[in-house]
Amino acid sequence: MLTADLIVIGAGPAGMAAAAEAGRAGLSVLVLDEQSQPGGQIYRDVERVVPLRGDLLGADYAAGLPLAQGLAEQGVSHLNGAVSWAIEEGGRVMFTRAGRAEQAEGRRILLATGALERPMPVPGWTLPGVMTVGAAQILLKQSGVVPERAVLAGSGPLIYLTAAQMVRAGVPPLALVETQTRGDALRAARHMGGALRGWRYLLKGLGLMRELKRAGVQRFVGAEALAVMGDDRAEGLRFRRGGRDHEIACETVLLHHGVVPNTQAARSIGVAHRWDAVQQCFSPVLDEWGRTGVEGVLIAGDGAGIGGAKAAEYAGRLAALQVAEDLGAITAHARDEVARHLRGDLRRERAIRPFLDTAYPPYAGAITPEDATLVCRCEEVTAGDIRRFARMGCLGPNQAKAFGRAGMGPCQGRYCGLAVSAILAQETGQSMDETGYYRIRPPLKPVTLGELAAMEEPVTDAAE
Amino acid sequence: MDADYAIIGGGVVGLSVAWGLLKRGKRVTVLDGDDGSFRASRGNFGLVWVQSKGMKQPRYAEWSQQSAAAWGAFSDELADATGRDLGLEQKGGYDLHFSEESLEERVADYEVLKGKLGGDYPFEVLGHNALRKEEPAIGPKVAGAILHHQDGHVNPLKLLRALADDVRRLGGRVLTGKTVTDVSRNGAFRVRCADGTQVDAGKVILSAGLGAMQLGPKMGFRAPIRPQRGQVLITEKLPKLINRPSLIARQVDEGGIQIGATNEEVGLDDRVTAPGLAQLAAEAVAAYPVLARAQLVRSWGALRILSPDGLPIYQESPEMPGAYLVTCHSGITLAAAHARFLPDWLEKTADAPDLEVFSEDRFAVS
Repeated sequence: MLTADLIVIGAGPAGMAAAAEAGRAGLSVLVLDEQSQPGGQIYRDVERVVPLRGDLLGADYAAGLPLAQGLAEQGVSHLNGAVSWAIEEGGRVMFTRAGRAEQAEGRRILLATGALERPMPVPGWTLPGVMTVGAAQILLKQSGVVPERAVLAGSGPLIYLTAAQMVRAGVPPLALVETQTRGDALRAARHMGGALRGWRYLLKGLGLMRELKRAGVQRFVGAEALAVMGDDRAEGLRFRRGGRDHEIACETVLLHHGVVPNTQAARSIGVAHRWDAVQQCFSPVLDEWGRTGVEGVLIAGDGAGIGGAKAAEYAGRLAALQVAEDLGAITAHARDEVARHLRGDLRRERAIRPFLDTAYPPYAGAITPEDATLVCRCEEVTAGDIRRFARMGCLGPNQAKAFGRAGMGPCQGRYCGLAVSAILAQETGQSMDETGYYRIRPPLKPVTLGELAAMEEPVTDAAE
Repeated sequence: MDADYAIIGGGVVGLSVAWGLLKRGKRVTVLDGDDGSFRASRGNFGLVWVQSKGMKQPRYAEWSQQSAAAWGAFSDELADATGRDLGLEQKGGYDLHFSEESLEERVADYEVLKGKLGGDYPFEVLGHNALRKEEPAIGPKVAGAILHHQDGHVNPLKLLRALADDVRRLGGRVLTGKTVTDVSRNGAFRVRCADGTQVDAGKVILSAGLGAMQLGPKMGFRAPIRPQRGQVLITEKLPKLINRPSLIARQVDEGGIQIGATNEEVGLDDRVTAPGLAQLAAEAVAAYPVLARAQLVRSWGALRILSPDGLPIYQESPEMPGAYLVTCHSGITLAAAHARFLPDWLEKTADAPDLEVFSEDRFAVS
C-alpha cells in the first residue's frame, strides 16, 4: 500500500499549492487526481495548453503553470487518472487507476475537490444541444472546439469570460441571456467597498464586457421564465424580459448560474456542513486552517466555499503549513510567519466575493423549478414528484430518495442534491439546514465489482 | 381521543399494521421519525423469503409462509389503490452453495423442517448443471442450489411509498419528524413527543424498530433487541441477468443487481466499509462471474433489528394492557401478515393467529 504524510485529493489550485508547500516543508505527499493532467477545472491541462492557446484563454489561466510545475517539488508524488472512490477513518483512501483498485494511507488527508457547476434545471435542460458553460469552456481549453450559434444563459462572471473566449476564437455567441436583475445590482452596490479591493477582477470584468460589446454580442439582462425550446434537440431559448416574451433560435444553449462546493467526499466521511445563505450552497464547517471536525481531515479551495483560484491556492498553502506543523516538520513560529502573509492575501482575494455573489445570484427559477422540470436526470424525477413526496411526509432528501429514486443514479446526487433539498425546504417550511442533504456513501465514483473483489485477497506485489 | 391506535414507528412494519387497521375502520395515528432516523425500511434487501427461516421454530417458518402466500393479493390491492406496481415476483428463490457438503447439510435440515410442517415445504435441489439451465450466468464455483418455490422478492421502497401513500388515503394521520419520549396510561394512552406533540389513543403499538430499545422498557416490555449491520451493494442497471433472487444477489425491477449482505455486530453504526464492500463483491463475482465488469453505483449500510433468537416479537405489555410490541427483522416478508392477520390478534377476534411462541415469555428463563 502507498503511504504518505499527506494525501491530497485533487490537483486544482488548492491541491497543487498545498502539495508544493508540504513538500517544501519536508513532508511526503501523495496527490491523487482523477484528471490525466494537473490543473483542476480552472487550470485544466494547463501545461499542455498554455503554449497552444494561452493567448486566447488569457493571463489568469496561464497563472496555473507555476502551480502545476510545483508538483515536481521534492517529496511530492502525483498520480494522475486516480479516481478516489472511498475514504475511511484513519486516513485510508481507495482509488482506481488504470482499471485497478488501489489503496493509500496518509497521516493527514486534504480534500481539494473543488467546485461543481450549479446545475440549472429549466424546462428543456436535458435536451441534446444543451450543456453547461463550464463544459463548453473545457472543450475550448482541451480541444479548441467552440459551439456555433450558441446562446449563453444564466448569471455569473464565467459567462462573460467564456463568451469573450468564444469571440477571440472567432465564433462569437448569438446572445447572452442573463438572469440577474437590476435589484441584484443595487444590492451588490452595498458591497462596492470590498469589490474595489478586488479591483483587478472588476477591471477584468469591464474589459470582457467591452470585448463582447465590440463583437456585437447581444445581452438581455433580467431575463426570467427561461425555457429551452425543441423536441429532440435544442432549437432555441425562450424567456421573458421586461414583460415581453423573447425567443432566440440557436443550435446550442449553454447554461450557467454559478458554482458550488463539491462536498461529496467530505460528506462521505461525516464532515459537518452548514447552509451558506449568501452563496446559496452547503459548505463544510472548518477552522481557520481548513481543519474539519473529522480527525486528520482538512479541506481547502472551492470545496470549502467558493472563493476562486487564487483564494484556493492560499487556502491550500495554509492547510499544508498546518499539517507540516502538526506533524513536526516545521515550528509553529515558522508556520505563523508564512501564514500571516497568506491570510492577508486570502482576505484581499475574498474581498470581491460578497459583491459577485450578490450581483450574480443563481437563477431563482432553477433553484425551485416548476413541477414539470426534471431535477434528477439520472432517474428522471421531476420537481413535481419531489413536491408530492413532501406531501407524503418526506422531511428530507433521504426519505425522498427512497420514495422516488432521486439521487440514486451514477452521478450520486451531484446534479439534483441542492434542488431536491431546496424544493423540500420550500414545501415543508423548514430551513435548508433542517432539511439537510443526501447521506453520501462510497463509491464516490463508480467502480467495478471486479476491482472491488480483487481487494478482498491480500495483493502480493513484487515491488513491496 | 385522537385515535383508536397510536402507532409509534412509520416504517414498513408500522405502516403495514396501520394499513390493516385502517382497512377495518379503525382510526390510526402514526408517529414517524425524521430524515436521519435508522430506517431498515430504506436499507433492506427486499426479499419475500421463506427458506431457512424457523429452522428451530416451525411456527416461524409457517408464519413466513402464511405471509408469503398473502403477499400477492396484498400487493395487488396496494397497486390498485396507488396506481403503482410494487415489482413483486414470487417465482422461487435460491440458497446458493459453493460446496457439495454445505448443500447436503442444508438439504438435510430442510427435510427435518419439512417433516415438522406436514410436508408443506416445496423445495428442490439443483446441481450445478440444472442450476445453470435456470441461471445461465451462474459461475463454475457454485456447486448447486436449493430452489424454494415459496420465495420471491419485491421492491421494498415501492412498498414503503405505497404504504405511506395509501395509509394517508385511507384517512390515517401520519406525523413525521417526531421523537417519542414517553407513553403513559390513564384510562387512554398518551404518547408524548420531544417537540411537545401529544397523541391520545385507545391502544398503542410500538413498532419503532431499534427505537424500541429505548421505549420498550418504559412501556413494560423486555424488548431484548439489538442492531446488526448489513452492507448492501447495487450495480448500474443491466439487461436481464439473474432470473431468481438468492441471499447473495438479486436483480431488482429497475435492472440493478443488488448484492448483500454482511452480518456485523457493530452497534449503532450504519457505515459501509471497504472490507465489507470487497467481501460482498467477491462473493457476488464468485456466484456470477460476469458481474466483475459491472459498475458499482451505490452501497449502503442498514441495521437489522434482531431479537436473541432472530424471531419476531409480538407482545402485549403486562404492565400496560393495550400496548403492544411488534418488532421483527423481516418486515418485508411479514408485511402481508402484519397487514392482514395481525389486526385480528390486536383486536382479539376469533380469527386471531396464534402468536404465543413469539411472546417475550421465551426470553424469561436464564
